[in-house]
Amino acid sequence: MKKLLTLCVIAVAFVVSVHAQEKGSVLIKNATVITVTNGDLENTDVLIRDGIIQDIGKDLNAPRGVETVDASGKFVMPGIIDAHSHLNGVDINEARNPVTAEVTMEESVDPNDVGIYHALAGGATSIHLMHGSANVIGGQGETLKLRYGTTQDGMKFEGAKRTIKFALGENPTRVHGQGNGIQPRTRMGVEQVIRNHFDEALDYKRKREAYLSAKAEFDRRGRGTPPVPVAENLRYEVLNDIIEGEIYVHCHSYRADEILMLMRVFNDYGIKNYTFQHANEAFKVAPELAKNGAMTSVFSDWWAYKFEVYYSTAYNASILNANGVINSINSDNNQLLRTLNHEAAKVVRYGDTSVNDAIKMITLHPAIQLGIDDRVGSIEEGKDGDVVVWSGHPLSIYSMAEMTFVDGKKYFDRSNDPNDMRIDIDPGTDFEDGANFREIVTRREDDACLQDAFILMQNNTQN
Amino acid sequence: MIALLILGLGVQQVYAQTTPAHALKNVTIHNADGSATESATIIWRDGVIEAVGTNVNIPFDAYEIDGGDSLHVYPGFIDGYSIWGSPDLPSNLPDLDDPGNPPYYRSGVQPERNPSDLLTEDKNFETAMKAGFTTAALYPNGYMLPGSVEIFYLSDDHESVELISDKVGMAGSFESAPGGWGSGAYPSTLMGVMAKFRQVMFDATALQQHIKYYSQNPEMPAPNRDQVLEALFPVINKEAPLYFEVDSKENIERLLKLQDEFGFGLVIVSGKEAYAKADELKRRNIPVLASVDFTDAPEWYKDDEKKDDESEDSETEEVEEEISEEEQAYRDKQLKAWKSEVSNIKNLMDAGVKVGYASAGLDLKDLNGKIKTLLEESGMSEQNLVQLMTRNTADILGINRTHGSIIKGKNASFSVFDKQMTEDDAKVQHNITNGIIHELNGE
Repeated sequence: MKKLLTLCVIAVAFVVSVHAQEKGSVLIKNATVITVTNGDLENTDVLIRDGIIQDIGKDLNAPRGVETVDASGKFVMPGIIDAHSHLNGVDINEARNPVTAEVTMEESVDPNDVGIYHALAGGATSIHLMHGSANVIGGQGETLKLRYGTTQDGMKFEGAKRTIKFALGENPTRVHGQGNGIQPRTRMGVEQVIRNHFDEALDYKRKREAYLSAKAEFDRRGRGTPPVPVAENLRYEVLNDIIEGEIYVHCHSYRADEILMLMRVFNDYGIKNYTFQHANEAFKVAPELAKNGAMTSVFSDWWAYKFEVYYSTAYNASILNANGVINSINSDNNQLLRTLNHEAAKVVRYGDTSVNDAIKMITLHPAIQLGIDDRVGSIEEGKDGDVVVWSGHPLSIYSMAEMTFVDGKKYFDRSNDPNDMRIDIDPGTDFEDGANFREIVTRREDDACLQDAFILMQNNTQN
Repeated sequence: MIALLILGLGVQQVYAQTTPAHALKNVTIHNADGSATESATIIWRDGVIEAVGTNVNIPFDAYEIDGGDSLHVYPGFIDGYSIWGSPDLPSNLPDLDDPGNPPYYRSGVQPERNPSDLLTEDKNFETAMKAGFTTAALYPNGYMLPGSVEIFYLSDDHESVELISDKVGMAGSFESAPGGWGSGAYPSTLMGVMAKFRQVMFDATALQQHIKYYSQNPEMPAPNRDQVLEALFPVINKEAPLYFEVDSKENIERLLKLQDEFGFGLVIVSGKEAYAKADELKRRNIPVLASVDFTDAPEWYKDDEKKDDESEDSETEEVEEEISEEEQAYRDKQLKAWKSEVSNIKNLMDAGVKVGYASAGLDLKDLNGKIKTLLEESGMSEQNLVQLMTRNTADILGINRTHGSIIKGKNASFSVFDKQMTEDDAKVQHNITNGIIHELNGE
């Protein structure tokens, strides 16, 4: 097993090196630099070389061949990171089983979705492409850099932590319990599905390891009775990786009671790195979250789209922040993803959270939740050149992203923004039919988390 | 011509003590290498070509057929991946109690099925003969693992479609499990299909190990034999390649990832965007059985072409249609995308990838139009086309020792056209498969 794992690691390393990304260099001059970790620096230059922030200071000179951007009167901020997105998934929900840990959004990436460009235009540079919330334990997530125009492998955020989607409450109980008549039908059932699967996974691991060591012994001695083979099981392997801390859990949740429930379950299995997604009632249990080191990723002010989301407040993010919970603001929506700076601004407006803390909620904090904070989320020497030039302060409603850089390479430039940025044209689609690429404002009530899975609930209501 | 018709009627009824030979004389033979031999004769007996050339002696017992120097003979076309004769997919599937754990057949995993056991009546067999096909690799209609790929001599009725090679490969695709709202099952997504594929490969691997251990150690618990998993052993053992139907660049990349994990042999079927991975396919030595089922050319492009033709005829200037800059930019991209699709086969050939032909779902009545597009728009020659549909496909299917060319010692499978095949209204007059003459009369 170990050997296999090593082979996999080598294979992954190989793939990454094959798809080495295009890195860029740029000197941004005279900006107000919002570093996030070291205050705001006025009249400051940022030099990015070969994709890495090399220098932050005054009167820096551009090395030969490096483009200079005059950002006088403008702001430079780390690229926005969305900890909850379904932006460019081929499929979102493998909704036919309550536990599908074996599937991964890594294999559901559409690198050609023009929405990637729209997100860049809103100052976003990374997203967490998540499985939907139809299942108690859904598929694994994939953290992407928005390198528009590259391949599916080229979009991967190399070295990001592995993640997985869990979901509590109405979605899994409606899809599976009420839709198909199988566990879970209630919130109690949701807890049992998690516990049962962890127990089964541990049982599998014991049997599989016993088999592998008996097989090794049999192969070595060349006599005796061989063991009955235990097949590798992809689902249980992933569940064991969660228990062993190799995978960060991102759990769709709303109510305080189910949030407490999951923390108890995770404490029982020793699972430490996890983020509650949505978590509209997290403010009720903020001290408990802080005590457990649990993180949250919430909307600034979006609720009441189903029964379990009625009890909500626009102070949620501020209360969590004041209690020391690492909280991010996410979009879960392709339109909202383009204006996450406004969502952060609302946290300042509603709960009087400091501007820098609000900015952390769309930069450094989501980076921590995805295990990429050593690379992005703040403007520091040595970090990746994922930065955005804003026309004014990014939390102002009047400001616009003017240039968006990923790895120092410019992917969006407002002064050179062609009308049609689609890169994957279906030759059978005529201009008139294909012109709907402008319709980027999707309806918020179309809960993206349940993409592909609504059908199952509709079926239920018909029966 | 009349002589041929009369002889043709008698052919199947007459059996002498030794099977008599057939001689087709005074015809133009188009060879798989692109060369043509005029005033040639082909002699065959018992389904095997005995002699070919301009200077051959016709045996005394041969039925002579005189082409009158007007007929064109091509090696029989070979369809590298076709669904002809496959039973229809089941409809109205019942709901499952536990759609997350469906039986194999409901998840689309049916590698144990073989076309030779399933062949059913299909008028496409006759249509295929009329289009010049003599040979085809068939697979059963289905989902992610629908069954084995087997090669057949074609005939105009399915009872006489005969097996040449069984289980030459395993069919595959990224199709999710069958079923609708209530009756669907796992896997229902692309990522689910990939996970399910891996799991059945793991399960088959464990079963094979168990069977092997048990055969040498009868004192241990016996394995639960399973015909579905056992059908996958040749894929696991790299003895039979996967014939995997896949089109987009991204899906080809996903498939190559699975190949990296399991090391199976691979033949890409359809492969409409395979050109985008041509170098990697060449490096991995993966052949492509390419589809010619191109998207129709954009309407505005067809109109432009028509206008060009007309203005050449009448020598009058057409007034250009007014379109916005944005629409023009879109049209440029659209045309580029379309040209890439149409040039796929040519680009793969130029890159040194082995390319054959597969109908892969193409409606045969569209074949002529698609071939015309291919020749006009991709810069492919008729010679390339004949190679594609004969020798190259035979090579990929592993039947090149017997099929794909008109040479002494090869199987007598060829098509007789009334004109060169690429000429307008060219029709197949007769189709000889495995030495048996099928009268088609260019219907």
